[in-house]
Amino acid sequence: HFQCLKMLFSFNCKIDYISEGKLLPEDVTHFVIPDWKVVQDYLEILEFPELRGIVFMQTACQAVQHQKGRRQYKKLRNLLKDARHDCVMFFNEFQQYSYMPREQGEPLERWYTRCIYYATVWYYNHFAGLMPVVMVTEDMEAIQKYGNETDGVFVVSFKNYLENFWPDLESIHELYESLVQSRKERESESQEKNGKEYPEHLPLEILEAGIKSGRYIQGVLNVNKHRSQLEAFVRIQGLNNKNSELQSDLLVYGTKARNRAAHGDVVAVELLPRSEWTGRVSVLCEKESEEKASEETEVEPMPTGKVIGIIQRNWRDYVVSFPPKDDVQSQGKNVRKILVTPWDYRIPKIRIATQQAESLQDYRVVVRIDSWDSTSLYPNGHFVRVLGKAGDLETEIAAILVENSISISPFSEAQLREMPVNTPENPWKMDTEEQARRVDLRKTHLIFSIDPKDCEDVDDALSVRRLANGNLELGVHIADVSHFVKLNSHADLEARSRATTCYLADRRYYMLPAILSADLCSLLGETDRYAVSVLWELDKGKYEVLKVWFGRTIIRSAYKLQYEAAQALLDRYLKVAEDIPELKGTDVKERQRKLNELTWAVEKLTEIARQLRAKRDLGGALELETIEVRVQLDEKKNIDDLVPKQPLEVHETVAECMIMANHWVAKKITESFPHQALLRRHPSPQQEFFTALVECAKAKGFKIDTRSNKALADSLDKAEDVNDPLVNRVLRSMATQAMSNALYFSTGSYSQEEFYHYGLALEKYTHFTSPIRRYADIVVHRLLMSAISKDKKLEQEEPLLSNKDLEELCQHINNRNKAAHCAQKQSVELFQCMYFKDKDPFTNDQCTADGIIYSIRANGVLVYVARYGIKGAVYLKNKEGHVISAKTDGTCEWKPGSLRRLRDKVICTTAGGGSMTFTLFEHVTVRISVISSRSHPDSIKLDIISNQPHKTQQTEPLHGTAATSKADLVQDVIRSAEEAQLAQEHARSITIRDEDREYCQTQGNSLYSLLEEIRELALLDVKQFKTSQETCSVNLFGGFLLQHWFRSICWLS
Amino acid sequence: MAGLELLSDQGYRVDGRKAAELRKLRARMGVFGQADGSAYIEQGNTKALAVVYGPHEIRGGRSKALHDKALVNCQYSMATFSTGERKRRPHGDRKSTEMTLHLKQTFEAAIMTQLYPRSQIDIYVQILQADGGNYCACVNAATLAVINAGIPMKDYVCACSTGFIEDSPLVDLSYIEESTGGPQVALALLPKSEQIALLEMNGRLHEDHMERVVDAATKGCRDVYAVLDRIVREHMEEVSPTTLVGE
Repeated sequence: HFQCLKMLFSFNCKIDYISEGKLLPEDVTHFVIPDWKVVQDYLEILEFPELRGIVFMQTACQAVQHQKGRRQYKKLRNLLKDARHDCVMFFNEFQQYSYMPREQGEPLERWYTRCIYYATVWYYNHFAGLMPVVMVTEDMEAIQKYGNETDGVFVVSFKNYLENFWPDLESIHELYESLVQSRKERESESQEKNGKEYPEHLPLEILEAGIKSGRYIQGVLNVNKHRSQLEAFVRIQGLNNKNSELQSDLLVYGTKARNRAAHGDVVAVELLPRSEWTGRVSVLCEKESEEKASEETEVEPMPTGKVIGIIQRNWRDYVVSFPPKDDVQSQGKNVRKILVTPWDYRIPKIRIATQQAESLQDYRVVVRIDSWDSTSLYPNGHFVRVLGKAGDLETEIAAILVENSISISPFSEAQLREMPVNTPENPWKMDTEEQARRVDLRKTHLIFSIDPKDCEDVDDALSVRRLANGNLELGVHIADVSHFVKLNSHADLEARSRATTCYLADRRYYMLPAILSADLCSLLGETDRYAVSVLWELDKGKYEVLKVWFGRTIIRSAYKLQYEAAQALLDRYLKVAEDIPELKGTDVKERQRKLNELTWAVEKLTEIARQLRAKRDLGGALELETIEVRVQLDEKKNIDDLVPKQPLEVHETVAECMIMANHWVAKKITESFPHQALLRRHPSPQQEFFTALVECAKAKGFKIDTRSNKALADSLDKAEDVNDPLVNRVLRSMATQAMSNALYFSTGSYSQEEFYHYGLALEKYTHFTSPIRRYADIVVHRLLMSAISKDKKLEQEEPLLSNKDLEELCQHINNRNKAAHCAQKQSVELFQCMYFKDKDPFTNDQCTADGIIYSIRANGVLVYVARYGIKGAVYLKNKEGHVISAKTDGTCEWKPGSLRRLRDKVICTTAGGGSMTFTLFEHVTVRISVISSRSHPDSIKLDIISNQPHKTQQTEPLHGTAATSKADLVQDVIRSAEEAQLAQEHARSITIRDEDREYCQTQGNSLYSLLEEIRELALLDVKQFKTSQETCSVNLFGGFLLQHWFRSICWLS
Repeated sequence: MAGLELLSDQGYRVDGRKAAELRKLRARMGVFGQADGSAYIEQGNTKALAVVYGPHEIRGGRSKALHDKALVNCQYSMATFSTGERKRRPHGDRKSTEMTLHLKQTFEAAIMTQLYPRSQIDIYVQILQADGGNYCACVNAATLAVINAGIPMKDYVCACSTGFIEDSPLVDLSYIEESTGGPQVALALLPKSEQIALLEMNGRLHEDHMERVVDAATKGCRDVYAVLDRIVREHMEEVSPTTLVGE
């Protein structure tokens, strides 16, 4: 039934054929027919419009379709369709006289060539020999065999053809050379990989041996979020790398070199020869928002490697979304395999098989990766479950949780059954036996807690009193969680796997069941509670520690103060007494007495804390800065506002006491268990991460010394612009970014020097003060209890974890902490986006804000918006190549022009001759808008609308305007503790008005806000208030080991 | 391998046909001696054999007898070797039962059954090689067999399947084209009167395209008719060269 096909050309064809397709031109000297191999490999050359009169044989096209894949075939099809290009397709296999059946045992490729040759001959005869026909092939055998078979049909090699027929077309020859080159390379590669997309991974034994011998390098792969296709970095693990030149990360450039490794995998990397090293890019690209401080080291080549094996996969559940409908259809109707786009930019697309693609168009779903073969460009996965419609708050929150592998299942029956009961009918009572074992502090100590408003899980309380000998006794009382949560009980196992309470912008997921976190462990006011207490005896003058006592106690917190109330007491704003519920219903005299007592205690505490703090600063504690905003929600969970946190001095007081308790507990447990104590260390940052900071500060004339934490702290203090307090904050936040996170570890796994906490400048530090929301603290409580019974020569109640188990546990907790932190950060970002989403950026005032430039890039600047705590990129050049230019009133518009980047400024020159300069630390007005993305989280976009600072009636609160500088303060401390106190008191009285205003503004309403507020302390101006969770301090003061206090919430400390 | 291209840009199907082109259709009548009528047909690689017995007395239970017309009894089967995978179907599966019913319906509409009250006509069809368009091949074969048996019919029954791929109707689908899962229409037509004996559709097809598809199928049936008619005439000349067959 093969019909005789009529030719698709008119030239000399006897049969009139009404063609819908194209016709071959009549004015060419010859027709050229490429062999299948030529079509496959040199299609790009055949695409040149100079080459005319090409006849593609059906055989060649099918060879492309079957062996080269859809993309190449599509290119060929488009070429054939292109009316400007003189080429046609001839269905030689459908033509009766040119069809060649395949012979028995004939290799496919030889058959292809034979088909094409005989079709060529047919073609030649069809023109009755009037038009020479050239068949080009790469197959030398074919040239030999067919070369002289038919007169007028030339069989030549492609190279030969190009040289003889097109000697003048330089570009074709160049392209040909480069194609040959790349094909050779591919062939040499494919000798190992047999035409696979990726080289095979090496077996594990070889990898291990190679890592040991130093030939390969082991590390965790980190994909650059903004250039996920190209750049990934490997942070080198362990210290056993003998290659001394590898100080920094290794670059893995391109997906080929990444060889199927995903973000977070532990990989083995082979270093490439120096000639193949490349550098990282410093141009801002789409989606760029925040970068590591080290990114400025641009074009300079850095160590580059390729992944040769994966030691441990880090595959987890991924949130993905389906491609839009039209894309699915173009893949063909019966294609059930679909490429889905993950939420996380760093994860490659995943191929899954599903028939629900259309019904799940707008949903976010969870998928899991099953495998990634070396023959496949993308990993294969499968569909797990649906999260919900994209864009819904609940879906987005669930996506954040899944992305961070946080499980939020409710507590199980078994866990809840273990819990003690406390109901109105059946109230919880203290056990008499237990009572006998504990020290009763109820009568002797005035204990109170200071927490944010509406806080439920109170895990710390404080006390201070004057002893008979005139010395002071300071007490920190921590909820005794380890009494309720026995080792290896259900609740313990659950808490261990959760590791931390997870706080999101609008909700929290507790580590312990509510009966413990909000009731029996919580040190509520006027209730008897078990506690673990640390009591210090301090000398009356300089508050040096004389004695320390640890033990289990019974306490009754007299007041559950709010931060604002405590601050008011501190400020002698005594009206606040009416707001303290515990003081209600007492007569005036009694109330006054109690109030005096409490005020004295709060003031004394603050005094001690200040003293300690000043001493710690001397040791080189750092004060750092992170960007934080609090999301203020109304009852219906709508977003009212984004509020930067306002710190109070009393926050610092509490933090100080906690740091002290943590430090002393750390000392105690390492003494008792030198090889299996859980501590927290903060490694010294790598020096090259500071380059961005140093460069940046230089622009403003400041010198930053990063040699030690003390030097850094001092130089950061000096880098203060009198007119612009934001400069210092920005510098501090850059310093923070340069540092790595603090980590839990087991003392047996590290050498003594590595225990050091860089940020706090403490040689030992742990977490002890928040057992309700951190599992590490529970472990430390158990260690402390064992240490106490060891001192008393008693038997151990519970077995201790071995060094190995403890180290494993620490790794787990570190990972969970990191995940919880990321989830929190992402939830805040989500709310930031939601806040701006329903606002029109052009009309709404709230979308216009003041920003400060903190980094200069080739095509834009990075800007920090303090009002909303947003950091982001601003492009000075848009996609059309227009640059920003200012009108006379300062407002900006896009105009054609060019950009010039200098070290600390970028200059926009418009075509009209006007120019505009953006310098580091210049204030600009930015407009905030939201870019919605189908499969990724929404992101904030900033645009400069004016190069003038943005003026609002509500200026940035400036703290500590008249305070003595930190350096002075430290000197004062050295001279005399009294003097320092006076200086601070003086400073405080001046700022009281500011404090009051802030007091009224601050609306802490949950434990979450407490945490956020403490974190926010870092935002405080350094001159006046020194603390924060990020802040760490140490004291090596006059040869004494002084008190180190810690309130430890942060991730850094 | 990239996905199969059922209709190329130049308008060719995988086996080189154009969209409205039938596969090569060859047939022979009177292949069996003992049957009243028989025919063998090839539509491309689809091969079918049909035999007709009757009209004769009702066999097995007189209760089935119809007092005013003949009973048409059909049976459809597929040879075990007919498909790519060897498969024994001793009692027929659901598909063949359905096919049987369709055949019965088709031929009840075409045969002048009222001429033979209280009698029975048996039509047995077997697929020897299945390569798409089984129903159509069966109908065409059975038509020839009925003609061979000398049973009066209103007209030839010609059948042709049509698919709808990439916005154009494809006539006489092959197995590869059928297995892509697109919509498919089988049409049995009485070509002279253009009456539809049976129309069956699988899959989803938009209403707007329906007319085009049925038109293409009708055109296909007419082409089949031309071939069948030629075959019948040739056969007649063969068996009785002296008889004048003509219009």
